[in-house]
Amino acid sequence: MSDISIREILPENVAGAAPSRPRLLVIGTALASVAVMVGFGSLLSLYVRTRALWIATGDNGPWLPRGVTIPLTQPNMMAMTLVLSLVTVLWAVASMKNDDRANTYVAVGLSLLFGFAYIAQTGYLLTLMGLPIAGDAAGRAPLFYAAIGTHLAITGAAMAYLAIMGIRSLGGNYSAKDVEGLYGAAMFWFVMVTMYFALWYAIYITK
Amino acid sequence: MTLTETRPDDAVSTDAESQPVAPVAGLLGTGDHVVVGRAWVAAGSVFLLGGLVAGLLAAIEHADVGGFAIVNNSNTFTQLWSASRVLLLLGGIVPILIGLAISIVPLQVGSSGLAFARGAAASFWTWLLSVGVVILAYAFDGGPGGNDTDFVVLWALAMMAAAAAIIWALVCIATTVLGARAQGMTLERVPVATWGFFVFSISGLLALPVMLAELLMAYLDTKYGYLPTATSRSGLVGVMDTISIAPALYWVVVPTLGLAVQSIAVHTGRSIKFHKTVLALLGVIAFCSYGADVFSFSSRGRALSLDNGLMVVAILAVAVLILAVLGAAGDSMKGGKPKLTTPLAAGLGSGLLLLLGAAVSEIAQVEPIVNFINTNFDASINLADWWSLNGTSFHEGVRGLILGAAVLGAVGGVHHFAHKVWGRSLNAALGLLSVAAIAVGTAVWGLGGVGAGFAGQPTLPIVDLEAGSTVELFNVISVIGVGLIAAGVAIFVLDLLMSLIAQKGSATEPWRGVTLEWATSSPPARGNFETAPIVTSATPLADDAEGEDA
Repeated sequence: MSDISIREILPENVAGAAPSRPRLLVIGTALASVAVMVGFGSLLSLYVRTRALWIATGDNGPWLPRGVTIPLTQPNMMAMTLVLSLVTVLWAVASMKNDDRANTYVAVGLSLLFGFAYIAQTGYLLTLMGLPIAGDAAGRAPLFYAAIGTHLAITGAAMAYLAIMGIRSLGGNYSAKDVEGLYGAAMFWFVMVTMYFALWYAIYITK
Repeated sequence: MTLTETRPDDAVSTDAESQPVAPVAGLLGTGDHVVVGRAWVAAGSVFLLGGLVAGLLAAIEHADVGGFAIVNNSNTFTQLWSASRVLLLLGGIVPILIGLAISIVPLQVGSSGLAFARGAAASFWTWLLSVGVVILAYAFDGGPGGNDTDFVVLWALAMMAAAAAIIWALVCIATTVLGARAQGMTLERVPVATWGFFVFSISGLLALPVMLAELLMAYLDTKYGYLPTATSRSGLVGVMDTISIAPALYWVVVPTLGLAVQSIAVHTGRSIKFHKTVLALLGVIAFCSYGADVFSFSSRGRALSLDNGLMVVAILAVAVLILAVLGAAGDSMKGGKPKLTTPLAAGLGSGLLLLLGAAVSEIAQVEPIVNFINTNFDASINLADWWSLNGTSFHEGVRGLILGAAVLGAVGGVHHFAHKVWGRSLNAALGLLSVAAIAVGTAVWGLGGVGAGFAGQPTLPIVDLEAGSTVELFNVISVIGVGLIAAGVAIFVLDLLMSLIAQKGSATEPWRGVTLEWATSSPPARGNFETAPIVTSATPLADDAEGEDA
């Protein structure tokens, strides 16, 4: 692969072509992100409200079912992993804006790696929690799995989006003059990480 | 002159011949927003009729107060009732409105196409398949009140897929309005119909995910044994409460109100005088419907609390707001020259029935207000002994009025834009007949439901009451009402399919407005406009005509 960027080939005064669909991908991503946040927020609201009612009743005992523990190490590591992924996603966008494709691919690859790491850590955490989804007489287990599972699905979607935009960048669809696709993917990634922090506080910290 | 486009010379489009209505083969994978829009409208109309037939069966069952005439037990009745509710809203009204929006919004904002048009096509196929699976699940003892666990689970999954498909279609519509408008087309200049679709899309993006969350819990609860019996699954009928009970239900009437106002302006020949005010009012109506929606998502038991302060205020406000929107339409009626056309009749009827529904729903707000006074100020005031409408058929009556108004508005919208979307008009006589049947049926359905509610009939489950009672009389009235609406929609579907598939109906453009969609051929060629329009007002074609006159 050549190290020469487009900027080095083209004269300074040559204007790049305007994107054929200005900002549509970013706008669409923003709207879809709002819908995703509302759905995920609904699940977390349901969890928090059910827990509040449980505690308010007073005679039910602790909220977590007997024998279930939620360690803090894994959730905190997951939070740090996702914070690191924010840096790499921004790195991908910034390098694309500089037409530095080599850095873009490295940054996208690292972001996806962090995403996989988050999913793997969540799987390990669920194993440690030892909460069977069926058989909880009080019906609490589905609330945990609905919120955590939905966030895993959102993470998968964010990874797929970033991977597709990375491949399209590789194919030359995006350049320094048009980073719309990577902007959109980065925006959705930020939304995904923000939602993790809501999950982290509502379930892993306050339990 | 500010518009670079000119009206097509011939009323009969030559493009209508060069771009025939695509059969199924052409529909698969198409990126033409008009073709995708037609598909949504046609399939939605058929499902709407199916929902009304299910509703008619449920109404007949309800009318037999002494026992069970059609179904075997209360749980089966819940399935039938739920199927009607799902098909009416997620199968019929919402898809028809989405289809109109996908076809018309890009034309009205001067765009060369819909944002993510192939995504919109994918959403159509996903929705179509999902609704088919939902019907299948009901047929095999699934859905709320279902006895077969696998098919209840399948129902929840298919409902989630249908809702997700609708959400994606709404993203496409809203993105087009926000990002693909013509030069000079500011948001305050977009036509009222497009604004209605935009507000509808944003409201749907905020409301449907809440329902998706409830459906996910329904799926998990059923699959993992937390709802083991058919009776315990009857409560799943409440998952649609967040979008299907007033005031949340008003999100579907925002676009029909927009369509009504725009149709009235075209068919009276007088532009909307208070354009920006109408846009603002439609936004506030959607806001009022959403505030209550959020607060209804309050319990795992899926019980909707109607004793909610914000909800009371929202419902009280909506009637006034609808009245104000109709006032703007009334100005066009007063100053223009109304012609008796199907869109005008449907728009007027829809608006007035909606106002009636909103006004009637205010009656139910007396109860929470008095309860508030009882709790906080004067304990001697108590309505509970003689006035209790919550949990009764009263809310079914209100729902019938609002849904009927939405159906009428959607039918009017299809009649108004039929020629623009597929190059053929619908039959005017059949249109007026269907509008009359739907309008009268809606009023009668509302009367039956509200009356039965005052007589104390609970919404669900079905109960044995004494034959010949007042409740029975009102339930028979409801049957007549739903039957009339079903007959009206059947006429509409027949007319629609004849025009769309058999290409019956006039090819001459029946009317024209002053918004951008009338500056191109019917149906539009690919790319919609030969050159990109530039606009400087909300009525670009009126500006164009004035410029030519000068």
